[in-house]
Amino acid sequence: MKKKRIGSTLFLTLVLLFLYLPIVVVIVYSFNDNPARIPLQFTGWTTRWYEELFAGKGGYGSALVLSLQVALWSVLSSVVIGTLGAVGMVQATLRSGKGSRGDNLMESIAILPIMIPEIILGLAFMVIFDALGIKGNTIRLVLAHTTFCIPYVFLSVKSRMVSMDTALFDAARDLGATQRRILRDITLPLCAPAILSGAFLAFAMSMDDFVISFFVYGVGEGTLPLKIYSSVKTGVSLRVNALCTLMILAVFLLVAMNQYLQAVRAKKERMLQKA
Amino acid sequence: MTTDKKDSRFFRFLKLPMYLWTLVFVFVSLTYVIGLSFMGRGELIGVDGLFTLANYARLREPQYLKVLLNSLKLAALTTVLCLSIGYPFGYLMARLKPGARTVVLMLLIVPFWTNSLIRIFGWRILLMGNGPLNTFLQNLGLIEKPLKLLNTEGAVFLGMVYALLPLMIMPSSNAVEKLDYSVVEAARDLGAGPLKAFFTITVPLTLPGLMAGCVLVFIPSMGLFFLNDMLGGGKTLLTGNLIQNLINSRDLPMASALSALMLLVTGAVIALYRKVGGSSGQLSMF
Amino acid sequence: MKKNILSLVALLMAMLIVALSTLGLADEAKTLNIISWEGYVDEDTINAFEQETGIDVIWSPMSSIDEMLLKVQQSGGEGYDLILSSDYSLDILRQEGLLQKLDMSKLPNYANLNPIYLGQFYDPANEYVVPYVSGCVLIVVNKALCPIEVTSYADLWSEELRGSVATLDLSRVIIGLTLKSMGYGMNETDPAILAEAKDKLMQLYPNILTFGDNESYTALSGGEASVGLIYASFASLLLQENPDIQVVYPSEGLGFGVDGFVLTSASQNVDNAHLFLDYLMRPEVAAHNAEYQGYTNVNKAAEEFLSDYYWANPAVNIPAESMEGSEIVQNIGEAETLYTDIYTAFKLQ
Repeated sequence: MKKKRIGSTLFLTLVLLFLYLPIVVVIVYSFNDNPARIPLQFTGWTTRWYEELFAGKGGYGSALVLSLQVALWSVLSSVVIGTLGAVGMVQATLRSGKGSRGDNLMESIAILPIMIPEIILGLAFMVIFDALGIKGNTIRLVLAHTTFCIPYVFLSVKSRMVSMDTALFDAARDLGATQRRILRDITLPLCAPAILSGAFLAFAMSMDDFVISFFVYGVGEGTLPLKIYSSVKTGVSLRVNALCTLMILAVFLLVAMNQYLQAVRAKKERMLQKA
Repeated sequence: MTTDKKDSRFFRFLKLPMYLWTLVFVFVSLTYVIGLSFMGRGELIGVDGLFTLANYARLREPQYLKVLLNSLKLAALTTVLCLSIGYPFGYLMARLKPGARTVVLMLLIVPFWTNSLIRIFGWRILLMGNGPLNTFLQNLGLIEKPLKLLNTEGAVFLGMVYALLPLMIMPSSNAVEKLDYSVVEAARDLGAGPLKAFFTITVPLTLPGLMAGCVLVFIPSMGLFFLNDMLGGGKTLLTGNLIQNLINSRDLPMASALSALMLLVTGAVIALYRKVGGSSGQLSMF
Repeated sequence: MKKNILSLVALLMAMLIVALSTLGLADEAKTLNIISWEGYVDEDTINAFEQETGIDVIWSPMSSIDEMLLKVQQSGGEGYDLILSSDYSLDILRQEGLLQKLDMSKLPNYANLNPIYLGQFYDPANEYVVPYVSGCVLIVVNKALCPIEVTSYADLWSEELRGSVATLDLSRVIIGLTLKSMGYGMNETDPAILAEAKDKLMQLYPNILTFGDNESYTALSGGEASVGLIYASFASLLLQENPDIQVVYPSEGLGFGVDGFVLTSASQNVDNAHLFLDYLMRPEVAAHNAEYQGYTNVNKAAEEFLSDYYWANPAVNIPAESMEGSEIVQNIGEAETLYTDIYTAFKLQ
């Protein structure tokens, strides 16, 4: 038994090492004191990339702002659209006892954006936006990102809805509550964690999207991934590494905090149950 | 008006935004791409508006076939390798004590939240001829001359496995977590060896998660053109690169035809997945 | 439960506020939109210009000339003021009517430019283009790794160089140099000659390790590739970091190019664009940027500001006799599709 555990720990560690190897390189290189236009060799330690992170032209400030802006708008719209869609579909199914064919078909189409290779969607948005005459960068990006964010929220909320106790809805209805009231007082509060986790995932996907943005984006400095790509294509600024290091740190803290809070809550619940 | 009618009207109202959005931005735009694939190249907006099958006929030319087959081969290999690393990982992770599992899960999520391009850039430095990996191997005395790692098909393959592995781990681990382990124990009590119990009980019971993982890995791996740019030395290896090249040389109809073909492959994979009992919910990973 | 929905609402509100507040940030009045390769003008230069004028320079990075042409043609140039790109692509833009003439009265420093870079095919009457830098496509050889002596383009086909050539990724240049290796010019349009060049080019593929500027630079720097066919800028970088790297001027003659700025006809910031161009043609600024990029300086007045290092760099300061027989890639109109088709076939092998 002991031997098995060592083997399993070793395997898990090795795979995690594989996942973290390039991240370690990114972090180490964020302190690389190589001023060359394409700094491939490690020549010494510095913190200048952190100091210059947002300074001047090569700064990543505007790219980061655009990325955040697009991600926030897209998450916002996809949370509204995806949540209402999921609630509507599941509730309708519950009331009528079976899923409507229209809903099933619509669901299959709606989740296509996260199923098909991104490049197809990129091409599709590029041609359709041009055909419709939609020109602004931000609006193009938000429309595109919202489209691939909806499925994450939708699927997350839907799976929560399906696992909910339907007796709750029936009871509320029997007591005379309107559907609007049920939505506000029962469904949404119960779905809140699912909405949140869907929103977080959608946010991460939007922030990281390169392929679709690449085809949709027109004039300007670009989102963070776009700027990173062109920087990697034509010369690398180590400020990218500094920025990513900070982002990794922030994510680590956020995730750790979240896990800690969950653990505390779980402990509290256990104690309540005992008492 | 009865409450039932009022209710269903309310539900329709809730669904409306999603219906509209999906119709316009998914259905219409994808149909538009398929439509473009049946047209010729033209001056205005890149197409001439005349029906032709020429683009699909061109797909049979050996140069396109070669890339398509190569792309499928790489996607299949990536799926197999992700499966053979990701499934055991997901399994072992799900069997960990809750505290340890939380930590491993956290360690898995963090890379997912960091920009994928910059992680691939990290690989690029690692794999360079005089990069850390080669230096390390040379210092160990394992190799004399630096190995040619970067700018090979192998490097692209590695990048694909790296980028897509978490998409295999998550559904596998979720499936194992839901597994009622007493069934496995019962099998063990009845005299099944650990391997036999694993392959006859655990694997079949977690098959949906496993298949979801395969779908999640296989499909995107056909289109990741930037991996090839960054690790493969810019040679055309994947269908994604081909489409990008065609867009750059302003051959929108041909790019559309290739996209339509990929759409078809994707559709076939998903249909197959549904046929063997997979559900779309399982494809949402988390 | 109440708490859950409250925190969700609070989060959504916070996001809405942030999203709204970021929308109206950009000040449209004093901006200048430029599309070019990332970092092609030193950011210190741009920062200094912004300080001096209060104009906000917005740099749209492009990853290739093709991508730029596609974007500019699609938008009709709308949203871009200045485009910095290579000779033949500037000619394409000019012929498509996407550019407007420069107002020379606003460009007093234009007189600083070296006349040998003016009056070229892309701008015969000196009305549209401000040349920025010039550069050759060079062969670089890593002495320590290369098994043969390379003196010409033709040597790149040698069997001993299998999988060890790192090259840039531009159809016109690669096919042009193939033509040169066969004794033709870089801008042939005769289909028969091009078909011949195609056969020749196809045989080069097994020798090629990487395509692309940065990819090839990385491969040469890391010692994976022993021979490179790259722009002077990357050769300059390699010369600095590795004493084994040598520059070869091919015996068939060099291919060279000029990168310059043009002003779109859709430009909304014409005055700002002129200010920027004139700023870049100041002698000290021009000298700094030529050195920073590792390309050949095109500004006569800037020559006194160039360092000894610049004059000693064989990638940028090329002896006159080696420049003999050099050629520039030109816009060949319709025949361009022949080149594209050849190149596609070549890369899809």
